[in-house]
Amino acid sequence: MTAPPPAPAAGRGPAGRVVTGLGDRVTRIGAAGLDAGRAAIELWLVFVGVIAGLVRQRRAGARRAPGATVAQLHAIGNRSLLFIVVTLGFIGMVMIYQGCLQFSRSIGDLSQVGKQFIRLVVSDLGPTLTGLMLATRVGAGIAAEIGSMKVTEQLDALRMSGVLPIDYLLVPRFVAALIMTVVLSVLGGAIMIAAGGLTANLSFGVNPRTFFDLGAVMPRHLVLGLLKACCYGAAIPVVAGFCGLRARGSSEGVGWATTAAVVGGSFAVIALDFALSVGALSLLGGKL
Amino acid sequence: MFARSVSALGARALTVARELGGIVILTGQVLRALFPPRLDGHELVYNLHRMGNRSVPIVALTAFFAGGLMVVQSAPMVKNLGATSLAGWAAGYAVLRELGPILIALMFSGRVGANNTAELGTMTVTEQLDGLRALAIDPIQYLIVPRVLAMLIMLVCLTVIGDLVALLGAGLVAKAVLGIEWQVMYASFVDNLTPADFLHGVYKSIGFGAAIALSSCYFGVTVRGGAVGVGRAVNAAVVAAAVSIMLLDFFLTYVSA
Repeated sequence: MTAPPPAPAAGRGPAGRVVTGLGDRVTRIGAAGLDAGRAAIELWLVFVGVIAGLVRQRRAGARRAPGATVAQLHAIGNRSLLFIVVTLGFIGMVMIYQGCLQFSRSIGDLSQVGKQFIRLVVSDLGPTLTGLMLATRVGAGIAAEIGSMKVTEQLDALRMSGVLPIDYLLVPRFVAALIMTVVLSVLGGAIMIAAGGLTANLSFGVNPRTFFDLGAVMPRHLVLGLLKACCYGAAIPVVAGFCGLRARGSSEGVGWATTAAVVGGSFAVIALDFALSVGALSLLGGKL
Repeated sequence: MFARSVSALGARALTVARELGGIVILTGQVLRALFPPRLDGHELVYNLHRMGNRSVPIVALTAFFAGGLMVVQSAPMVKNLGATSLAGWAAGYAVLRELGPILIALMFSGRVGANNTAELGTMTVTEQLDGLRALAIDPIQYLIVPRVLAMLIMLVCLTVIGDLVALLGAGLVAKAVLGIEWQVMYASFVDNLTPADFLHGVYKSIGFGAAIALSSCYFGVTVRGGAVGVGRAVNAAVVAAAVSIMLLDFFLTYVSA
């Protein structure tokens, strides 16, 4: 038995292309896997840190930045209002337009469109699309702020004055995002349904009384929708804060962190949506 | 108090007008560089690979979840009516026409558009664009046009790939969660979906690609103020891209229907 030959090192072949051997590729995959594992642990630590910070702030005599949570509620909630109204209003209109078009072509009966649409919005689309939009706007904002503070060494200054950056910066954002995602999901769902009803009435002549039929909405749909909104509201600031805290270098690092926050936040929303929907479906025995 | 809120509203409107105008001017400059084509071919190929090939995993994963989700959501209708042949219709129609292109465009805007803004923004704040101009290299031809073209082409390609993955995801989730056989799902797709449904989504993705590309480049080259400015620009770019995707979706659907 001879020892396997050493993996050839990457080099430039005659055509100028990078030649990589099998060993090299395995190394690269392993490195990527290790990085992902390390990132997952860090993400988990940020989450635990935020929860611990919340607990610490509830203690009597804990130092708290006055008004920080209120300021974040305003920055995350009120300033996203127009964005959420515009985007969800338009998508509600499009969905009903497409749905009515398809129903009138295949079944010819538009009385079920509103009923099914409202169920879909309450249990899924309202919270999920609001979550996606907030992952874009709020997640990018949090990562940009915290990332800028990281690269300008303001976080080190905080630590030096005995303040934990997670407690001081991330906990108010976490609380505010959690509350505001739920509030804006409810608002976004309502806007979607209203815009859809308007489109159905104006373009297809569906009676609003037929459209706004809550018959298909069960309490379990409402619970599932609110649960989804809570999960997105918790996931978005944690992912964004994690990305911001990992920023290195200068302006380039902040840009990378912001990008990672948008992708990570959007992906977290979609993956959580899938997991919660499938979980609810199998929990309820196929009667979602 | 009232006067202050009015002036805040006016300032906001002016900002939006300035940004829109800037994007229109940038569009004009890009078009002028395209006829006759004066762009850096090497940069184009590099950007096509970087923006397209390397986004395939995240787009495929997103599309897979989108397809699965729509099947899960159409489950009650299917169970109530006992019509498993409708599962493919509802999921396929929603995914091909609406959710697939929109979700893929949003992920693309996050991964590629935001990244592009960050990169161009870093180059702007470190005065590399001025450096290019000093070397008599037009930043529009060298940096902007290849990126805009690459994003346009690659979002269309990724939407095609994503649509197929989404249908695969729909079939897989239908089998695993609802117990619908592959053949039933396949027949349901073939019977109920037309090429027009597929093309409708692909056609909208051209508009989404243009919106993402132009807004991300515009916010990248207009960055002011160091690292803080780059973060703010990326934020503004993804918000602008998300709003324009939703607005374009509405208008493109109306125009084509």
